[in-house]
Amino acid sequence: MHRHRLGGVGLAALQRQQESLKSFDALSNQLSNAQVDNLHAQLYQFRAALTRFATHHRADIRSDPRFRHAFQQMCASIGVDPLAGPRRGGWWEETLGLGDWQSELGVQIVDVCVSTRPRNGGFIELSELVRLVSRLRGLQGGAITEEDVVRSIQALKPLGAGYEVLDFGDGSRKIVRSVPKELDEDQMVVLAVASEQKGRINEDLLIHGKGWTAERATVVLQNMLLRDGTCWLDKQDGPDGTGWAYWVPAAMQWDD
Amino acid sequence: MSFSTYKTPSGFLLPSIHSAPPFFTQQPNAATQVVFTEQWTRLILAYARYRRLFTVRVEDAEVSGGEWDEVLRNPRINRRLMPGQLAHILSVMVSENLAMYEPAKQTRATLLYWRLPEEWAEVLYEWQVVNTGQLNTILTFYEISEPPVPSELSGIPQSLLRSAIAVLVKGGRAQLISISDGDGVRFFPRNAK
Repeated sequence: MHRHRLGGVGLAALQRQQESLKSFDALSNQLSNAQVDNLHAQLYQFRAALTRFATHHRADIRSDPRFRHAFQQMCASIGVDPLAGPRRGGWWEETLGLGDWQSELGVQIVDVCVSTRPRNGGFIELSELVRLVSRLRGLQGGAITEEDVVRSIQALKPLGAGYEVLDFGDGSRKIVRSVPKELDEDQMVVLAVASEQKGRINEDLLIHGKGWTAERATVVLQNMLLRDGTCWLDKQDGPDGTGWAYWVPAAMQWDD
Repeated sequence: MSFSTYKTPSGFLLPSIHSAPPFFTQQPNAATQVVFTEQWTRLILAYARYRRLFTVRVEDAEVSGGEWDEVLRNPRINRRLMPGQLAHILSVMVSENLAMYEPAKQTRATLLYWRLPEEWAEVLYEWQVVNTGQLNTILTFYEISEPPVPSELSGIPQSLLRSAIAVLVKGGRAQLISISDGDGVRFFPRNAK
């Protein structure tokens, strides 16, 4: 009783089947090994090329913000993140020394945020932060951009320090928060209006400028003043020196 | 307009916070007021050291024309420190041993410790060694506070001088004595106990 030459029944058929399965396995192993080897080789080449590039241009990457930006774009397009530090002992850190660079920038950001907190309540405009960090780094530290600072702040996130970059709401300006305080939408509006007034704000500017009711303006300003400490009171405002105005330190530009 | 430092006619550099209007108002938020008080304390002591001013009075915030105008007023932004806020700052300074009510039993005038009595004691002892070239000398209070050659101690108020001498007496380096024209002090070598 014959059914199929190869797929027949009986011991011999079973053996044949097992052998062919084995050889399929072997072949498939061979193939994937070749693929993996190939991939390894490619990765090795890629790594070598990137290392060469990175080592060769290390100084440029560290000191020239435009070059750094381009390098990051390039890395992002192939799915690697060379600046996602700080990771101790990582390959990128060894190769580029950029782990150090990133940690150093992070420390400087924290330094500025903490040292200016008494006067800004933990909120600082991104441009102001970049300006102060740049001054801290001095000339030999190399120029840094808002992008660098934002990346650094993202890298600080795992530390749980609550550093965050917030949008002002007008699309261009950003504010960095270094305290675990929430800013609601109304407070963001206050910040934006105060920023146009060099930091000064009062109910009228919100009522007439933003169409708010007097109650809404008062509540927001009082909360910022009394509850959050994110604005200051001035009782010598106006021509007769007895008016009241509020000042938002985060929206004030300081020269020292 | 940004907030920046300012050099006063007397040559003192005011910090940028001094150009911010709310700095001159007592803050209803306690945490903010603590920060402002710290900044005012530092400013008052720095200015006192710079101008060698030993006292500040609440009155200095009430009437202009005194030696504290450069600090307690900012005519460029039309602000002045309110007397109540100055009184508060002074009370904090006293509680932190950075100032002392002088005379006692009032709260409108303070002696400023831009040097602590312990530091004045060292200044006095060193000056006295250099000045007289020897120890075991007797100097009157007047000779110390009004020396013929101006010194670090020129103009030092009696009460502050007394506190400094008390520190030296405690360390066995001086002795308070009464002489015909008032109080005097005798200095001992450092090792004499």
